[in-house]
This record gives sequence, structure tokens and C-alpha cells, in this order.
Amino acid sequence: MTVLADERELRDDALNGLELATRLERLWRTPSGLLGALMSVDHKVIGRRYIVTAFAFLLLGGALAILMRIQLAGPEQTFLSPDKYNQIFTMHGSTMMFLFAVPVMEAFAVYLVPLMVGTRNIAFPRLNAFSYWMFLFGGCFLWISFLLNVGPDVGWFAYVPLSSLQYTPTKRPDVWAQMITFTEVAALAVSVEIVVTVFKLRAPGMTLDRIPLFVWAMLVTSFLVMFAMPSIMVASTSLILDRLVNTRFYDPSSGGHPLLWQHLFWFFGHPEVYIIFIPGTGMVSMILGTFARRPVIGYPVVILSLIATGFLSFGLWVHHMFVTGLPQLGAGLFTASSMLIAVPSGLQIFCWLATLWDGRPVYRTPLLFVIGFIVVFVLGGLSGVMVASVPIDTQVHDTYFVVAHFHYVLIGGAVFPLIGAVYYWFPKITGRMLSETLGRWNFWLALIGFNVAFFPMHILGLIGMPRRVYTYTADMDWAHLNLVSSGGAVVFAISFAILLANVIYSLRRGALAGDNPWDASTLEWATSSPPPPQNFDRIPVVKHRDPLWFDNESLPVVAGLSIERREVLLTSLAEAEPQTREASPEPSVWPLITAIATTIFFVGSIFTPWAVLWGTPPMAVALIGWFWPSGSREDEE
Amino acid sequence: MTVNDAHPRLLYWAGVALGPLAWGINLQGVYALAHFSCETTRLTGTIMSAVLAVVALAGTVISARAVRRGAGAEWAEAQGGGPRTFMAWLGVGSGILFALVIANQLAASLMISPCLR
Repeated sequence: MTVLADERELRDDALNGLELATRLERLWRTPSGLLGALMSVDHKVIGRRYIVTAFAFLLLGGALAILMRIQLAGPEQTFLSPDKYNQIFTMHGSTMMFLFAVPVMEAFAVYLVPLMVGTRNIAFPRLNAFSYWMFLFGGCFLWISFLLNVGPDVGWFAYVPLSSLQYTPTKRPDVWAQMITFTEVAALAVSVEIVVTVFKLRAPGMTLDRIPLFVWAMLVTSFLVMFAMPSIMVASTSLILDRLVNTRFYDPSSGGHPLLWQHLFWFFGHPEVYIIFIPGTGMVSMILGTFARRPVIGYPVVILSLIATGFLSFGLWVHHMFVTGLPQLGAGLFTASSMLIAVPSGLQIFCWLATLWDGRPVYRTPLLFVIGFIVVFVLGGLSGVMVASVPIDTQVHDTYFVVAHFHYVLIGGAVFPLIGAVYYWFPKITGRMLSETLGRWNFWLALIGFNVAFFPMHILGLIGMPRRVYTYTADMDWAHLNLVSSGGAVVFAISFAILLANVIYSLRRGALAGDNPWDASTLEWATSSPPPPQNFDRIPVVKHRDPLWFDNESLPVVAGLSIERREVLLTSLAEAEPQTREASPEPSVWPLITAIATTIFFVGSIFTPWAVLWGTPPMAVALIGWFWPSGSREDEE
Repeated sequence: MTVNDAHPRLLYWAGVALGPLAWGINLQGVYALAHFSCETTRLTGTIMSAVLAVVALAGTVISARAVRRGAGAEWAEAQGGGPRTFMAWLGVGSGILFALVIANQLAASLMISPCLR
């Protein structure tokens, strides 16, 4: 090996084997102890925390769903009061959308993207830590408010005028609106990190057409987040301003308009569906390639479909507003664009089916969940084409048909791939395999339970049962289908209990995984399970779209990064040619302190506008601490 | 062999650039021209959209030529490593996608009176 190290600094081409690994581990590890844990900027540590926290919110949101199904299992039940029911369905939707679905996808990206592109840490690692703390504090803020009976009760969309001060004079809508701000700040931060990681930190040789499909999916998702989420932040902030200082954005008596809220909300809300769905498709592509034992057919078609889906998702929002009295012609055009988006989604599904058809599928649990995804999502897509049509939507709007549709799309399109992803990447994250037997029970109960729970809702909607009612009378003939639906929900919940049991059991007693238990092809499987703090002892060189299938003996590497300070390799955008070495930040407690200061500012500002005044200096102090030169070599240079 | 090796000056990125550019101009143009269209002829927006749809499709054609001339064995072997060819493929799709979106707006300009702004 050629020694390229300069006189000043020891580099990784000067050492080999265990000595190199030990030096790098010491350099990149998270400091021990509680303070060390709070300072961590390791993407794997933060990714794990993100995943666990998001799944904790899934369990909480799921528990609320069960409470609603108990209430609706029979007519005129009094298990929940109307007020509590309103809070619960709002909390369920808000928790699932803002605290589970989006964060869990970003959490997997935070953990996996740096490994998949062959780098040592995510871009802007301190921002990553800040993002997690903001997400955690925002989620806790919402749930503590709920436990204090200040949980929002205006739906996950918080339509005005219901959410205005006049009709809801409590703090409940403020809690909802500010929770949005917390989670959106977190999501935007992660998106910036993902984009920069994908564009600048890829391993040498990982040209644009060698990027793993999950990474492509997260890249598209990140752009969606950056373009869609400012809309909801504007909406939620203006709602708080309306309620706090009478700005009257949404008050028609002063020139405001309630429909402005709906436009702003759904300009975010519809891309939100794809922010959840597109990462799911990335997971599906990764799992399919591995278990079909061949590369996914139509790699460029899949990527084009992802980009087209992302772009078109911004042109559909009005189909959520078909019954608001918009001109029919305009509604008709949005029908056309709503149906247009079925084309790229359909193309991807055909590519996946062709991959299965042409491959040698191994039906392990992750692949079962992918097949479940295809079935459930296609059913959801079909009802989606139905509600994209104005005449049908006008009839079924605000009925359980729509509830059935979006659960088929969201659970089918995101949760099934996600659970498949848990089974697929759990060995990498923990070093142990999940039980295959429990996995199969998990899958079949989930598939059966889900369909029994949600398919009857189509019929309930068609026979007139409206959404968001806390009960119904016996003479409506909705009782039997509701009872079936509630039974299915219990079975569905049991499937998640099995998943939880499987995870807890396997963490201690699961079979050891090894580096690459599935014989997968992408770079995250080229390192140990779980990966060391530095991810890779040397940065791999990529010569093929499926590097571990192509270079199955030994992966070529580059050397020359420092082993005295944290460094990553920057590469060019298209060709991924090495450009320069860049310092990667050390652990720091300042992101946590900044998040605490921001939390005080956000929570205070729903009670008094003066919080903007006294809440800003602590944030400024925290940010100064964050960026204060630490005397490291990075600062000196 | 990549496009770059064989034809270094081929505009492989034309579809990626021209499609969104044409759409952006069309989107701003239909608003900017609404007043003029209302007072003179409603065909202004239609003509502009038609021209810009052609521009987007021109991007597709240029990118398609780059693909045809430069597509190497890397696609058949699915090993990657031809980012320019890949960009050219993206250009083909991107040009078509944005031409479709412009066509959608063209349909709107045909059906909705610009005086209804």
C-alpha cells in the first residue's frame, strides 16, 4: 500500500486491520455516560432513537384507534364521550401522520442512507441531533397536552372556522398548530441532511445511476418535504397568529377566507401522502431485489416514476376540496391530474411484478410484507381513482368510504413496506435475526386483520355512515359491519403485538445475523452488524449498481482519510469522483440545548406574543454555543 | 462507452432542463398574459402553452438522440456507471412529463375564459 499520509496527520492508509478499526472506533464512537448519550451526533444512534420513538407513537396512535373501534362496535355506546372522541380521532390522525409516518421514514433514512452511500456520517450531524430532539419534544408536547385534557379536537386538518378562536376558545387548536411547527422543523432539517448526504457524500464510483433505489426515494421525498412543508408551517403559524393577535387571515368579516386554510393545508396535505408513500416504494424496491435474487427491472423507469410522482403530487390538492363549491371545470382539471398520478405508480408496480416474475423469489417475511403491500395498495389505488372523480367524490365525501380508501393507501403503501423493512434491516441494526415463525404470524394476522377492519368501511361509507361521528343509532343498520370492522382492528392490533414481542425476544435471543444474512447487494451489508461507529474502516469504491453481487470477493476501497480527527470524503454530484476531505463535527450538547430553548419559545408563543421577545435570546445563546469555535483543527484551518 | 466519450457536446441534459423551464414560463405566462388575453384574444395563452409544450418535447427529442447515440452496454448489464446516459433517460421522461403538465394547462386555457381571473 502506498503511504500518502502527510507529516502532520496520520491517515487510514498508514494502518491496517484491527489497529485501524480500533483507532477509528475510538475516534467516531459516542461518548459514554448520560451526557455522552445526550451529545451523540452518530447517525446510527440518532436513527435508532428516531425509529424507536416513532414506533412508540405508532403504539399510542394505535391504542387510540382501538378505543375508537370499541366505541363504534355497537350503536349508541357510551364508552367515550363526544368530547373525548373528538380529541381521540384528532390525536389518532395527528399522531399517525406527524409523529409516526413521516418521522419513521426519515428515521430509516437517517440510519440507512449514509451506510448505503458508503460514508461515515450523515451531512450536518448536529442538525440531525437537533432534529431528533425537536421531534421528541413536539411529540411529548402533544401527548402531555392530551393527557391534561388540552388535546386538539378539531381533526388532523384543523379546518377553520372550527379551529378559530370564536368556535374553539380553548388552547386545543394552538397545541395542534404548534405541534406542527415542531415536527416540520424536524422534518425539514432531516431533508436538508439527506439531500446533501446523497449529493456530496457518496462513495467514489457511485454515479447517479448506481444509487440504491431507497436512497433515490428518500432524495425525492426530501425535496417534497422542502417544498410542501413550508405551506403547512405558514398555515399553522397564521392560525396561531389569528388566535393570539387577531391577524384575521381566515376571518371573512375582515377580508380573510376560510378556503385559504384549506388550500394551504392541502397543498401540503396531498404531497404528505407521497412523503409517506415514496419511501415505502424505496423499501419495496430494496427488499424485492434481494429476495427475487435479481436487480429490480427498469431501474431508470422506477426513478423516473418516483420523480414524476413527486412532481405530480403538488398538482392534486384540490381533489380534497371538491365539495367546497369550486367551479366544476377547475375541479375537472384536478380530476385529470389526480388520475394522471396513477400512471407512474402503476409503472413501478409493473416493474416490481416483472422483477418477481423473472427472479427466483425466496418467500421470507420481508417479501411477504411486500406482496401484501402490492395487494393492499392496488386496492387503495383503485378506490383512489374512484374518489378522484367529482361525481363519486361528491357522494362519498366525509363518509367511511374515504376512511377506508386512505387507510388502504397509507397502511398498504407505507406500513406494510415499513414492517417488511423492519424484518429486513433489523439484523443490520441489531446484529440479530427476527423470528421467521413469529414473522409469518405477524404478516398473516396483519393482512387478514387489516382487510377485515377496513374493507367493511367501504360499504359503510356507501350506505351513508359519515366520518367523525362518535356513535350512531340502531336503526341505521350499520352495527354489524362496524362490529366486524372492530373485530378486524383487534386482530390487526394483535399482529403489532406479535411484532413487538418478536423484537423484544430477538434482541436478546435472536440468531446472530452476520454481516449480510440475506446476501443483499448494497453497501450497508458490506459492514458488520451492527455497524461500527465509523461505518466502514475504509470508504468503499463502487463499480456496479449492486456492488456486493459484483465484487463479492472483496470490495475495493479508497484510503487517505484522517484517523486523528473525524473526516468524510466529498465527491462530485453526477460522477461521484473524489473532490476533497471534509471535517465532520464532534459530539455536542448544544443541539439539545438549542432544542430546549426552541421548545420554550414555541410553547410560550401559544400563550403570549411576548414569548417571541423573551424566547429568542436563549435560542440565540444556544446557537452561539453551537457554532462557537472549539479549538479543533477544523476550526483552525 | 458513455455519451460523453462518443459525443462530448451532445445535450444529454436537454430534457431535464427544457421541460421544467418551459413549464415554469408557461405557469407564470398564463397569469401574466391573462389581462391581455381578456382584452384581445383568448388564444394568447393557448398559443404560448402549445409552443412551450413543443419546447418541452424538443428537450425529450434531444435527450432521446443522446440516448440513441450513447447508450452503452452498462444498461444491458444493469451495472450503471453511465450517468450521462442516465441523465439523458431522465431527460426523455422529464420532457414528456412536463409537456403533459403544460397540455393540462393548455386545456384549461381553452376552456376557461381569461376574463374570469
